[in-house]
Amino acid sequence: MKNKIVWALIIVVVLGVVNIWYYVFQYSKTHHRDVANEVATLVTSAQLVKDFQSDEKAANVKYLNKAIEVKGELLQENKDQSGNITLTLKSGDPFSNIFCTLQPGLPLPVKGSVIVVKGVCTGFLSDVVLNNAIVVKSVE
Amino acid sequence: MKKAILSLILFSGMCFQLHAQKIYSTKTGQIKFNASSPLEKVAAVNDQVDSKMVDKTGQIVFSVLIKSFRFENQLMEDHFNENYMESSKFPKAEFRGYITNASTLNFAKDGKYPVNFDGTLTIHGVQQKVTASGIMAIEGAKPTISGLFKVKIKDYGITGSYIGNKIADEAEISVNCKYE
Repeated sequence: MKNKIVWALIIVVVLGVVNIWYYVFQYSKTHHRDVANEVATLVTSAQLVKDFQSDEKAANVKYLNKAIEVKGELLQENKDQSGNITLTLKSGDPFSNIFCTLQPGLPLPVKGSVIVVKGVCTGFLSDVVLNNAIVVKSVE
Repeated sequence: MKKAILSLILFSGMCFQLHAQKIYSTKTGQIKFNASSPLEKVAAVNDQVDSKMVDKTGQIVFSVLIKSFRFENQLMEDHFNENYMESSKFPKAEFRGYITNASTLNFAKDGKYPVNFDGTLTIHGVQQKVTASGIMAIEGAKPTISGLFKVKIKDYGITGSYIGNKIADEAEISVNCKYE
């Protein structure tokens, strides 16, 4: 009887350790945050830049690390040094736009169109920056 | 009349100044972070580095958002942001300074030039004076800066609960920025 309890305990502990190991080193490597599955609030590119310019701290509380959908006119399409596609959305202020890095392997929107980009807001440099983004729709 | 001539001279002088100085910039520079220990690989890459540089004066600035660092392991990325960098409180890191040997650089001539940096690095809200060296490669009048330097994590008041056993106490930062 005692033996059985000891064995049962050992099995429980081993399973626990294996589970933790799997979650920390395997699951977390293959399961990355994906904005496609997250609920996001919609904001225009002009409003987003305005929010960060008028009060960066408050805007950080509101947007940082959250999934947001930004609607704006596509200004530029480029590639970064790792080969990811980057999109710049016009905000109305020529010195401060929305800079988005897309998830790899996505189809491109047409230049000059109004689009909605969904991504994780990582903060404000000269532009408001979105990471891990996807193009949700092209409006025009 | 005299005033008008004077201001004209001054204005043309300013125009010349503007032409004589060029600002190079990028929004897609790359900074890699490596604090791996023999036990664990702790490495991340940031492809959204904002950097500007003035050719004549050597003035240079690099700005990064901490939340733009991407790790292979999502859990590690969350720990990095929440426990170590406290990136909601301190969303940015920045280097502001000078290339001290800017006068030796010829932006019109292709080649590789050694460069030295001197300035202030701000991480986790803590400012420290730093010096570093790197290479500037110029190709078709477009410069690329690459460099590698080490940062003592404790110097910046970063005290995650795992420090000391799991991650290295020195982080390696490598910079690679292609300017336009």
